[in-house]
Amino acid sequence: MGTLGKAIYSVGFWIRETGQAIDRLGSRLQGNYYFQEQLSRHRTLMNVFDKAPVVDKDAFIAPSASVIGDVHIGRGSSIWYGCVMRGDVNNISVGSGTNIQDNSLVHVAKSNLSGKVLPTIIGDNVTVGHSAVLHGCTVEDEAFVGMGATLLDGVVVEKHAMVAAGALVRQNSRIPSGEVWAGNPAKFLRELTAEEILFISQSAINYSNLAQVHAAENAKPFDEIEFEKVLRKKFARKDEEYDSMLGVVREIPPELILPDNVLPKQTKVSTQ
Amino acid sequence: MANLARFTNKALRTAYSITKHHAQPQLASSERAFATEAAKSITPSPDRVNWDYRGQRKIIPLGQWLPKIAVDAYVAPNVVLAGQVHVWDGASVWPGCVLRGDLNKISIGFCSNVQERCVLHAAWSSPTGLPAETSIERYVTIGAYSLLRSCTIEPEVIIGQHSILMEGSIVETHSILEAGSVVPPGRIIPSGELWAGNPAKFVRTLTHEETLEIPKLAVAINDLSKDHYHEFLPYSTIYLEVEKFKKSLGISV
Repeated sequence: MGTLGKAIYSVGFWIRETGQAIDRLGSRLQGNYYFQEQLSRHRTLMNVFDKAPVVDKDAFIAPSASVIGDVHIGRGSSIWYGCVMRGDVNNISVGSGTNIQDNSLVHVAKSNLSGKVLPTIIGDNVTVGHSAVLHGCTVEDEAFVGMGATLLDGVVVEKHAMVAAGALVRQNSRIPSGEVWAGNPAKFLRELTAEEILFISQSAINYSNLAQVHAAENAKPFDEIEFEKVLRKKFARKDEEYDSMLGVVREIPPELILPDNVLPKQTKVSTQ
Repeated sequence: MANLARFTNKALRTAYSITKHHAQPQLASSERAFATEAAKSITPSPDRVNWDYRGQRKIIPLGQWLPKIAVDAYVAPNVVLAGQVHVWDGASVWPGCVLRGDLNKISIGFCSNVQERCVLHAAWSSPTGLPAETSIERYVTIGAYSLLRSCTIEPEVIIGQHSILMEGSIVETHSILEAGSVVPPGRIIPSGELWAGNPAKFVRTLTHEETLEIPKLAVAINDLSKDHYHEFLPYSTIYLEVEKFKKSLGISV
């Protein structure tokens, strides 16, 4: 009986597909191509009763991110794909030039075991790596939270400190300035060199630039996306080396050119 | 009567003092808020949409780079592929993943699977000096919630759940990484061994039977992904709803 059920289920699907194909044929005959679009109920910025997010106009919020409740995001910051910033029971404030990378979670505590009420404050030019979990903690300017790190309630990461990847920083710990803490539970690993501290601020700037590219791409309306698809298909068949053999110089269509500041400068690598 | 008057007087006075107490901390906090507002001064844009009915696009091309998905690969609708990403035949990318090939290439090999909520990213350059692309070869199983950054995974490997592989790490063929392991930058996990821990340390070598199981797991997940793949019709009928909605608003269809 199970296989018969499954057979009927798939026949049902075949009939639905046929029906939809005929509907699409009809739409095409009408010259209406919007059947390729899809609806989604995901709300990027969501308010919980009276707490609404306040987001600067230069910040990049990925469409699949969820910024919920009392969240303040400063200019030039970026919240990447799949992040969840839940300011429902307390407030979250993110400074300027900060990036919260993909699939991270920033949440706040209303009350915890020690009874303190903790908003989450993330300073300027902070890099929070992929899939980090920040819960009721304070991260000061130009700090670096590695990917997969978990920061529990009351943690303070001081300026220019680094939490290594995969670290679990227990409640109310304080990561002093200029140090790297790693492990589960997080312990002092080593000091940061001056070069690394410089790298942290540089990486925040790089991410801001990258965020602008992603922001532009995600904001494109349907027509522009379809047009670029056609352009890309057309341009893909043209190989630059082959063209140079023929002596032909073909220009990349301007829509397909990435801005210069996205990738780090090539010259530094080639001189070595 | 006099008692009542005294009682109401007292009640009124206490009520007044209570409201005054409430008002004062409120004033102070709003003043503090004002100071921080001036310091941060967020200027929200009037154009920002809170809700886009299209949701998040699965494939995000950046400039000339277009993510490429093989015809029989299952990529969940929740996934975000951006930049230079190649998902080859028989591979599957499960819900919630983010594959960001914006700085460098990412490729998922034949019959490999990237399970739920993983984040694959590629840095611009790797500390080892080797190409910093994230390449996952054939028959690799990457467990749920893993984070991979600029690493090379050779054929027939199992990466446990919630593992973190940092820049320049190489996992050689026929090895298994246990769940929760963190591989520091530039480490090599040798062939045929089981490693675990944060940071990852050697546990034991794998028996031959275990090595044979690795591609079987990848194939099993490939089968499972086919079931998921067939649940989705290639196009949805939401456009009918959009048309109705537009008509009701008087927008030309």
